[in-house]
Amino acid sequence: MSNVSVSDVNNSEDWLLRVDDLSVHFHTPRGVVQAVDHVSFEVRPGETLALVGETGCGKSVTARSIMKLVPEPPGDYASGKVMLRNPATGAVIDMLAAPMDQVRATRGDRIAMIFQDPGKALNPSLTIGRQLAEVFGEHRAQMLLTNAGIDPAKAPLGSKSVASQRAGVIRRSFFNLTHRGQSRALQAAVDASVIDALSDTGIPNPRKVMSSYPHELSGGMKQRVMIAQALACDPDLLIADEPTTALDVTIQARILDLINDMQQRRGTAILYITHDLSLVRQFADRLAVMYAGRLVESGPALEVLRSPQHPYTQGLLAAIPRAGTPRGQLAAIAGSVPQLIDPPPQCHFSSRCSFSAQACTNHVPGLIPLPVAREVACLRFTDAASLGVNQEQMPSHVDLIEVESAEAVSS
Amino acid sequence: MSITEQQLGNGQPATTSKSDVMTLRDVTVHYPVKEGVLQRVTGAVRAVDGVDLSIPRGQTLGLVGESGCGKTTLGRVIAGLVPATGGDIWFDLDEAAKAQMERLRSVPEKSMSAEDKTIWSHLEANHRLGSMTRERQRVYRRNCQFVFQDAFASLNPRQLVRDIVGRPLRVYHEASGEDLDLKVINLLERVGLGPQHLLRYPHQFSGGQRQRISIARALALNPEFVVLDEPTSALDVSVQAQILNLLVELQEDLGLTYLFITHDLGVVQHMSDYLAVMYLGRIAEIGPTAEVFHDPLHPYTKVLRDSNPSLEGDELDHSAHLRLTGTVPNPIDPPQGCRLHPRCPVSTSECGWQVDDMFLSLETSTPASFEAISRVERSSPFAAQLVMDDDVAALELFTEIQNSRSPFGGAVENIELDGANVSIRLREVEEIPLIPVAPGRMSSCLLAGRPDGIRPPAESR
Amino acid sequence: MTMTSENVTISSESQHPRKLRSRASSVRWARRREVMREVLRNPLTVIGVVIITLFLLMAAMAPLLTEANQPDPYQSPRDWANIDAAPGVEGHVLGTDSTGGDVLYGIIWGSRLSLQLSLTVVISTLIIGTFVGSVAAMRGGRIDNFLMRVVDVFLAIPELIFALAIAAILGPSFRNIILALAVVFWVKYARIIRGEIIRVKQTDYVAAARVVGDSTWNVYRKDVLPNAVTPLVVQATLDMGNVVLIGAALSYIGLAQAGLTEWGAMVSAGQSGILAGQWWVSTFAGVAILLWALAFNLVGDGLRDALDPKTEGR
Repeated sequence: MSNVSVSDVNNSEDWLLRVDDLSVHFHTPRGVVQAVDHVSFEVRPGETLALVGETGCGKSVTARSIMKLVPEPPGDYASGKVMLRNPATGAVIDMLAAPMDQVRATRGDRIAMIFQDPGKALNPSLTIGRQLAEVFGEHRAQMLLTNAGIDPAKAPLGSKSVASQRAGVIRRSFFNLTHRGQSRALQAAVDASVIDALSDTGIPNPRKVMSSYPHELSGGMKQRVMIAQALACDPDLLIADEPTTALDVTIQARILDLINDMQQRRGTAILYITHDLSLVRQFADRLAVMYAGRLVESGPALEVLRSPQHPYTQGLLAAIPRAGTPRGQLAAIAGSVPQLIDPPPQCHFSSRCSFSAQACTNHVPGLIPLPVAREVACLRFTDAASLGVNQEQMPSHVDLIEVESAEAVSS
Repeated sequence: MSITEQQLGNGQPATTSKSDVMTLRDVTVHYPVKEGVLQRVTGAVRAVDGVDLSIPRGQTLGLVGESGCGKTTLGRVIAGLVPATGGDIWFDLDEAAKAQMERLRSVPEKSMSAEDKTIWSHLEANHRLGSMTRERQRVYRRNCQFVFQDAFASLNPRQLVRDIVGRPLRVYHEASGEDLDLKVINLLERVGLGPQHLLRYPHQFSGGQRQRISIARALALNPEFVVLDEPTSALDVSVQAQILNLLVELQEDLGLTYLFITHDLGVVQHMSDYLAVMYLGRIAEIGPTAEVFHDPLHPYTKVLRDSNPSLEGDELDHSAHLRLTGTVPNPIDPPQGCRLHPRCPVSTSECGWQVDDMFLSLETSTPASFEAISRVERSSPFAAQLVMDDDVAALELFTEIQNSRSPFGGAVENIELDGANVSIRLREVEEIPLIPVAPGRMSSCLLAGRPDGIRPPAESR
Repeated sequence: MTMTSENVTISSESQHPRKLRSRASSVRWARRREVMREVLRNPLTVIGVVIITLFLLMAAMAPLLTEANQPDPYQSPRDWANIDAAPGVEGHVLGTDSTGGDVLYGIIWGSRLSLQLSLTVVISTLIIGTFVGSVAAMRGGRIDNFLMRVVDVFLAIPELIFALAIAAILGPSFRNIILALAVVFWVKYARIIRGEIIRVKQTDYVAAARVVGDSTWNVYRKDVLPNAVTPLVVQATLDMGNVVLIGAALSYIGLAQAGLTEWGAMVSAGQSGILAGQWWVSTFAGVAILLWALAFNLVGDGLRDALDPKTEGR
């Protein structure tokens, strides 16, 4: 966990990432799937926000939208902005609206992403060293040249493309022949950066890993390489899309330690996507819960886990098997997730919610702020009057649920 | 090498209640590794490498471990899907028969008395997998069923639910025609589905529903024992809760015995009465679930428990938690002695250190020494002669090992320096067995029985 | 996300199991129709199907469309007065060849031969290949090794050359072309189905069938074969076209009987005339071959796309 205090909440100028009213639709032969529906949230510099939800809730699509990675077609950014702010200069870029070359410059440099399956994210036909070199070459070519003792302004013709790892075989060999000393220095600079990045993630023998291919490494090692690659250029924001789901519990623990540690040292903000609520408790500052494409609850992680406000969050927590729960009595949420193709305007959870009332099937609940620094999208927290609806049609009203539920009581 | 379960304390055998549905003794499953043009066998993947286990009737035995530990293979061996390459698996032994089996198991055939021989062949014909009569085999098949992890993969995509669930009944000619259909509807309703699902294909269902179909199929023949191989690992948490509740309900209604295989500690803690922890093909620890969790008697169990993120507990400080180092070794050539020792945070010098372990640690701690080794002549896993690049390097290595206070250093019995050669001999350790260390509990860790328990040794790193 | 589809509902009255069985078969047919509809979504596939249908009609109605020549309908009737007639001359819509044989007649009756050729070869090779491949895959071990080495030997020789060699040895006749092609083509199916069966054998549903205790034959029949068969169907469809192509090549070289109303033979016969400006014999026969092969390839491709496991059973 980082050192951001919760009272910084209302300081609305100190944000790093702001997702504003994001909607992502997919055009399929069967209709338009509203995978992400008017989602808004914020990540502050150095904090960890956990985005939690089950299969199909839209969390992965949200994550990819931040880097504008959703393929269009069939995807379509129907509305909203994804704004990335530079904490130093205050400059803001809207990833969805900016031109592609700016987006590409930001990817890897200011926002980085690690994925669930490191095997798929690493190129199987390149050595680890080459892959990491590409990251440095793309974003830090100038730095490499300087480290090699070559003044970027006076750099010879081929050197820039060699440094940025874009030179083909011919150009590289030509550069090697004509400027042997500089070429070697450049290679040494690249290697040094790569080794630094690898050893920073706790990889014991970076040289050996550098010359290995992905298939020669274990799952945990590959995940470390991916983290090294992501953090190579010291991004402001790291998006982690279920990075440990495919790993064993003991390795997962070490990877989480690693991510935590790197965050402490570098002050990177992390957007952590997961379906596992128990992970969240360990390291997240804030928690946002998604259901059927919408954000249903958010707030400080420990608070939300201790006293969940939204019925879905409550159900989710109650469904997790624990030592204390009597066997056979896990609180299961009845029903299943609704179709997201051309859905009617209603609360998507209403068909499964024990509190649902008529108003819930006619209105889309908006995010209501609650103390302290929390939000819920549930009509129970809304006034009948503000919706223009009779009181009888509303679910039972609450202000803030201070639930001392079974899971909140430590065993 | 078989260990008979000794009776301790209050005289109860380690894990049995009235009788065991299945009893395993020193079961191994080795897959041969073939190399070369002529496909010569050069080694074996030791997926399951000597497991002793008893599955008590009417209870749930949880089997946990991480990927590659062999739990899935073990589950399939018990269900008869995969043949064991060594050891015995006994089905439906009552106490008396079990006692006979234990007694006669270690007796070579030649020295058996005629009476014993008859007893033994009777046991084999009626209870032993692989030598049972056809009739008994049918009984075994009908009573031992399997639920797969991936429900979608375990349902034939081209068959209707009606045919999938009714298949067991057809195979054993239990019912046909209308009777069959009625029975199938019955089964579907039992698992929370209905007659409207009869004429559908698997792809038309959600993950949770498919798992229900799979369970319905497993129950078709009214078995008494069901092996569940990670039945909820692929499901969302809310669906998992539904399925787990269903499984518990079925167990109560039908008096089922479960072998619940999973890697999820939260689930196994919730679902099982007894818990067996596996690592690299062997059982690390076994005992009642609550006790194993509360007071682990094997470092691996402790690490698992500590690594498991939990919604409970206030302590967020993990510095006291045990962690494993390194990565899972190759199952073709597992470590000698205790399988865990190269990675174990509390290993001692008696845990089975071998020459290869030294190379691993050298590689990371002093790569210079490691690079200076030019040749290794092994005479056994515990003794070797290292030829270094030069005398200086040999001397460095020699002094380093001599002065080492790590558990590895403590395992060195003899080390000699001769020019550029370093000869080293380590204490030879045999396979460390799974032994009872407390009433109802067994562990394969040397530290388990000791007064200090699982704690870093005095001469710690 | 999968949704349960409501395509068949069973109300409480029709819970009666006797009706279930007929309901079951109607559900299965509904599924097949669904698959068919999926296949026909691709316009190219539809074009292929249309062309094939036209050819089939042509073959079926050959005696109605033209008067069958006696004694051998597969020899074009010779109009000695009008040899090398251009299309449109004296009732010869597509012209005549250098022996006065009517080109249109040749095309129509040639379609029968093409159908005979492709159906015979494909069906026989399917049967043989499936049998051999199944035995190899289900038995495994040395039998598998041996059979697959045999298959490898066959596959090492290019199809056309191989068929050529066999047909040449057996002597020029249409029947021998069929035989030669059958000998060459069966290995492909053996290999395909062996691969598929091995893949299917490792699935959990086959394991589930074995846990239930079903016999190997039943498992093969109900679980393995139905799920292994798809690539075979695709390949068979494609081969319906390819067989005619290669068969035409063989008869072009002269391995068919002289003067046979077989498209390849016609291309060959008309070849010498091309330089003299008599393009119609070779061209029309060539177009027929092209259309036939194209149509089956389109349908085969469409089948492959529709039956791709990724999209199958959505």
